[in-house]
Amino acid sequence: MQPDVTAITSALRSAGLTSVEVEQTSLGVIVRAQNAELLQLLSALRDSSSEFTFMVDLFGVDTGELVEITYHLRSLSRDEDVYVRTSVEYDDGFPSVWEIYPAALMPEREVAEMFGLKLSGHPNPKRLLTTDGLEPMLLKRVEIRSAEEVRSR
Amino acid sequence: MNPILVACLRVLAGLGLMLLNGVVLIYMLRKVLGHLHVRLGPMNVGWHGTVQTVADVLKLLTKEDPTPRAVDKALYFLAPAVVFIPSLAAYAALPFSKTWAMADLATGLLFTFGIMSLVPLGILMAGWSSANKWSLLGGMRAVGQQIAYEVPLLLSALPVVLMVGSLNLNDIVAAQDKLWFFIPQFPALLLFVVASLVELNQTPFDMSEAESELVAGFSSEYASMKFGLLFLSEFSNLFIMAGLTVTLFFGGWSLPFIPAQIQAGFAPIVFVAKTYLVIFFFMWIRGTFPRVRVDQLQQLGWKVLLPANLAWLLVTGVAVKLVEAVAR
Amino acid sequence: MTQDPNLTAPVGAAVSEGAYVPAQLPVGLRRVPSGVDEVTTEHLVVNFGPQHPSTHGVLRMIIEADGEEVVGAEMSIGYLHRGIEKLAEHRRYNALGTLMDRGDYTSGIHGELAAAMVTEKLLEIEVPEKAHWIRSLMGEVNRIASHLVWYGTFGLDAGAMGQFLYAVRDREDLLDILEAVSGSRMMFNYVRPGGVLADLPAGIDQKLRAFVDIFDVHIEEHDQLLGGNEIFQSRVHGVGVIDKQTAIGFGLTGANLRASGVGFDVRRDRPYAAYEKLDFTVPMATEGDCWARYAVRMEEMRQSVRMIRQCLDGMPEGDFTAKVPKVLRPPAGEAYAAVESPRGEWGVHLVSDGSDTPYRLRYRPPALYALQVVEAIMPGSLIADAIVTAGSVDLVLGEIDR
Repeated sequence: MQPDVTAITSALRSAGLTSVEVEQTSLGVIVRAQNAELLQLLSALRDSSSEFTFMVDLFGVDTGELVEITYHLRSLSRDEDVYVRTSVEYDDGFPSVWEIYPAALMPEREVAEMFGLKLSGHPNPKRLLTTDGLEPMLLKRVEIRSAEEVRSR
Repeated sequence: MNPILVACLRVLAGLGLMLLNGVVLIYMLRKVLGHLHVRLGPMNVGWHGTVQTVADVLKLLTKEDPTPRAVDKALYFLAPAVVFIPSLAAYAALPFSKTWAMADLATGLLFTFGIMSLVPLGILMAGWSSANKWSLLGGMRAVGQQIAYEVPLLLSALPVVLMVGSLNLNDIVAAQDKLWFFIPQFPALLLFVVASLVELNQTPFDMSEAESELVAGFSSEYASMKFGLLFLSEFSNLFIMAGLTVTLFFGGWSLPFIPAQIQAGFAPIVFVAKTYLVIFFFMWIRGTFPRVRVDQLQQLGWKVLLPANLAWLLVTGVAVKLVEAVAR
Repeated sequence: MTQDPNLTAPVGAAVSEGAYVPAQLPVGLRRVPSGVDEVTTEHLVVNFGPQHPSTHGVLRMIIEADGEEVVGAEMSIGYLHRGIEKLAEHRRYNALGTLMDRGDYTSGIHGELAAAMVTEKLLEIEVPEKAHWIRSLMGEVNRIASHLVWYGTFGLDAGAMGQFLYAVRDREDLLDILEAVSGSRMMFNYVRPGGVLADLPAGIDQKLRAFVDIFDVHIEEHDQLLGGNEIFQSRVHGVGVIDKQTAIGFGLTGANLRASGVGFDVRRDRPYAAYEKLDFTVPMATEGDCWARYAVRMEEMRQSVRMIRQCLDGMPEGDFTAKVPKVLRPPAGEAYAAVESPRGEWGVHLVSDGSDTPYRLRYRPPALYALQVVEAIMPGSLIADAIVTAGSVDLVLGEIDR
């Protein structure tokens, strides 16, 4: 269930990722990554001896200051889960990881749509769930004060 | 009596028969499918829903008849008629008894097949002119399959013709007074039923209106009585094909072990009863089977049915010649 | 179908064989130039849905067809989007189940269970033994009901009609049982944080036993009616093949993953509720085609029947729920809980800020991942095969759109 923190750290260090932080939380092992090195990190995890070849889920959380995107990865051969977390400023972009995990294709579009982020490197970066013409950003934490504000948003 | 008047009366009788058949067959289809599917079918209008179809026909007649803007008007309006008229004309040669037939044609079998092969033309017209992608695909499929299966259908009826030596349907019935042909010609019967299921667009070969793939195929854009005509001709084709099956393989209007004089009185009833039994069999298949795929259908037609038909035709031909030689 | 010993997934963790490397763009319509073979031909772009007889719910498949062959496919979803994840931010913890019911509406018990489990994880509630057993029991009852819907509609996609109504006949009995237990036929809201809403009603034991006894016969009937049909077999064998790498790469779970030769089952590998104490096998197939998915799901129903019997026999005495406060305020933190729903791993990822409503609730929809893989493997097949493939992976649009 829970991978070894030191093993993951050393695997990532040997892949040339010296600045990533690996921490043990109540949720599980979380690898914190910069947006720029995300692709390198994910492919290192996928090709490491732990074989995190399976992406369980991908979702965003609005912390109030920025959007945290979490990649939930699983190694089917070892039965271990690891979370990779990266932060994106509002209205900023994040890279698509579909070439490493094709499973991310639709969830990425959903995250970009729901938090109003830009998605780069995606083959079909259209909106997923809502119609064009509106700007819903449903999951962004915006204080809703009046009905007019909702309509004009 | 004036021969023109007689001819007109016969055509009217055929039309009435066809309409009545449609109403009865739609009710029968609903009830048979219903009971096959552990449900009841129509139950509310009339006793056990018997008047339901009449109500539906009234609904179809009084419904608004919208015409989509993009359709090819001439073909769109002509198509239901082109589908409907052959299936009406095909009643002409069906022998309900020795004397009861609209026309006693020397080439009755050929006439029926010939006139029935006009139906795909109307279906293609309907599919093409509807300006709808589903209709187009349905029309194309219908033409592809019906032209491909004309050959096996004709070839599977030929062994019977070989045995009788006549294309007249009454002669074929008369030749079966001792032995119904489904016993010596059982392989031909199987081939004929499969090919006629394809010709009829019946499950498992209902490619042209495959509802899970093509919505309603060629009839997607039709409403009101134009749809009613398409629908009606489908049931009338069902009756004709079942009638042909009965005529070719199950002794037509005749019954075994009963003197001909007694039979003559209720021969049409016997014919219709037998036909409805065959229709019931077709509906049974419809309620049970999934649909085959387009390419599988063509493979079945060209690679299985056609060689099998030719082989059986050869066997029958040799057998007929041998029997003749022995008899001489 | 007889039980094939090779059809059982190995116990322990599954083995993966390298990663999936996308060969080409797997999504969107690929524009192929017109005029192939010097004949002026044009590809037809057709919309399957959102109003179409064979799309499950309101899925819209945009298919680019060259005659009968699919050359490009794109899935357009969102026609049933209700913003469940956002709504959950304004619900108290014991009301999350109502939202989960409306996600995957054919297997509500599993969603409620996932939401309850994640809340219990955050609050560290000890769930009584009996509640665990009731959860497993109702989960399996719901699994059969859900698989029957899939079985019926899969046949409809292949063009058969009868099996759907036979499946609905059996499902009716199951919905009666679920109604007797929870008070509702589909929107149960029965599994709550701490246990379940109410104890099993009197007489449900006989009802369930009567059902499983008759279902033992009916499941073989179902299998014969559809799976025993020659035409159906020719429609599903070798159609819609998802190989192991593709299945892993696209994040398939549940029966779809097991049909592709990866034996991972949340119930066995990460046991929850009472599954640790139940004896069941995890069916598996290696072909990855529609027939494999059919066979795996049919066998899952048989295993569910076995588990229902075991649950009824082994149902312990005791409380059906732990003592939980009326208003739940989990401490700030994050948790993830997953259940094996009929469609795969249904995970709920919860972020709490210490208040009485979740800060963020993420709901992992297994059918969304199944939908993506259908989009990727569809090009190259016939339209009829595309429909069957989409039917075989068991899509529920309520879950995909949320």
